[in-house]
Amino acid sequence: MNTKQTIAVIGATGNMGAGIARNLSKGNYRLLLCANNQEKLQALVQDIRRHNAAADIEAVDCTVEASWEADSIIVAVPYPAEKEVADKIRKVANQKSVISISNPLNAAYNGLTTAPDTSAAEELQKLLPNSKVVKAFNTVFAADFATPVLDGKQVDSFIAGNNPEALQTVAELVSAAGLNPVIAGDLSVSRTLENMTVLLIQLSMKYNYNWLAGWKVLHH
Amino acid sequence: MYDLFFQKFREKVPLSVEEEQQIKSYLTPKKLRKRQYLLQEGDICKTLAFVEKGALREYSVDNGSEHIIQFAVEGWTISDLFSFLTGEPAIYNIDALEDSELILITRTAHEELLQTQPKYETYNRVLITSAYVALQRRLTASISLSIEERYTNFTTMYPDIAQRVPQHMIASYLGLTPETLSRARKKMTTRK
Ligand SMILES: NC(=O)c1ccc[n+]([C@@H]2O[C@H](COP(=O)([O-])OP(=O)(O)OC[C@H]3O[C@@H](n4cnc5c(N)ncnc54)[C@H](OP(=O)(O)O)[C@@H]3O)[C@@H](O)[C@H]2O)c1
Repeated sequence: MNTKQTIAVIGATGNMGAGIARNLSKGNYRLLLCANNQEKLQALVQDIRRHNAAADIEAVDCTVEASWEADSIIVAVPYPAEKEVADKIRKVANQKSVISISNPLNAAYNGLTTAPDTSAAEELQKLLPNSKVVKAFNTVFAADFATPVLDGKQVDSFIAGNNPEALQTVAELVSAAGLNPVIAGDLSVSRTLENMTVLLIQLSMKYNYNWLAGWKVLHH
Repeated sequence: MYDLFFQKFREKVPLSVEEEQQIKSYLTPKKLRKRQYLLQEGDICKTLAFVEKGALREYSVDNGSEHIIQFAVEGWTISDLFSFLTGEPAIYNIDALEDSELILITRTAHEELLQTQPKYETYNRVLITSAYVALQRRLTASISLSIEERYTNFTTMYPDIAQRVPQHMIASYLGLTPETLSRARKKMTTRK
């Protein structure tokens, strides 16, 4: 596609938001970055521009403005903050792809706070009934964005959602972020994807992966 | 955000509050800044765009020169209709002449609305019919009127566009070089 898509990243100063923003800034995207702390946000924008003068990025002081202008929205905030964000963007996110990257981890990192018959992504979809919520990026660690190829293999990033067009749009985003997109199924598959991260965290702690690890499906 | 869209809709087809809500749930609000593209030639035109605020133009490019086929200001709808309906690559570019606020309707939303909301279908029939009439008029003007008449025709029919858009774009829209339009305008003012 030639036409540049505009992506809002809410929570851009976080570990995940910054990693996604850095990588996407190298692709054919216009990025609108939002966060609470404007100083940190400005520092991030300057740092991205220093590495890539051609980056089409802008710090936007208002989540609503950025989401209104955007074609797709990445919600890169902690799970408990998602309701507040959803309330703000509901109107302007109508019919847009909204990407849920969160893992609703418990305090011990050994399970999820959501009930077994739902997921963070499905909860976000309930909060944004007219948006196309897509699960993505949640199965990778933040450090993977700087090192998306581990042990010679490109890390897989699983995607789940109910709208075929939105899945395609997000698959392109994942690919532009340097990861290998794998469309896994409808939005309820997010339950599995969020639990996969619990396992990856457990393994990471047990075997000292140093938070640089990812999933790869081997196949013929 | 949707004020003008529903105002224009109601001018053509009256709507109940429930019907408005149902239609609204299918619409995508979107901002576009000056000089940004909504569509680039070769891509598939995925949406119809209604202008709530601002101005856009649609044009083709051959051998480096631009041919403007349409302007759209507040209340107008713009798209590469052939590409939108068939999924074939667009032959036109659409970009913003001013910072703009748009209401987009995707192909899927459009199809679902046509099937579930008879008033949306009526609205579209009226929209397409008047666009067809405007196109006929434009064709007649460009094959039978003098340059001066074409220009006067355009400025009287669309005074708001004529004021907001640079002369070289109006020339392109009328199928003239900027020099030809400039000479014609000079002739018209000296005649007065
Ligand atoms: N870290 C990982 O490796 C990893 C992996 C997979 C998925 N995730 C998921 O990614 C999400 C972000 O994780 P993270 O590690 O990047 O967290 P983080 O470093 O703490 O960043 C959180 C970001 O969200 C912003 N934020 C917090 N509350 C907000 C609110 N109420 N409204 C708007 N912005 C708010 C913060 O901005 P301020 O600093 O300005 O407050 C910050 O930019 C989480 O949902 C997590 O489950 C993380």
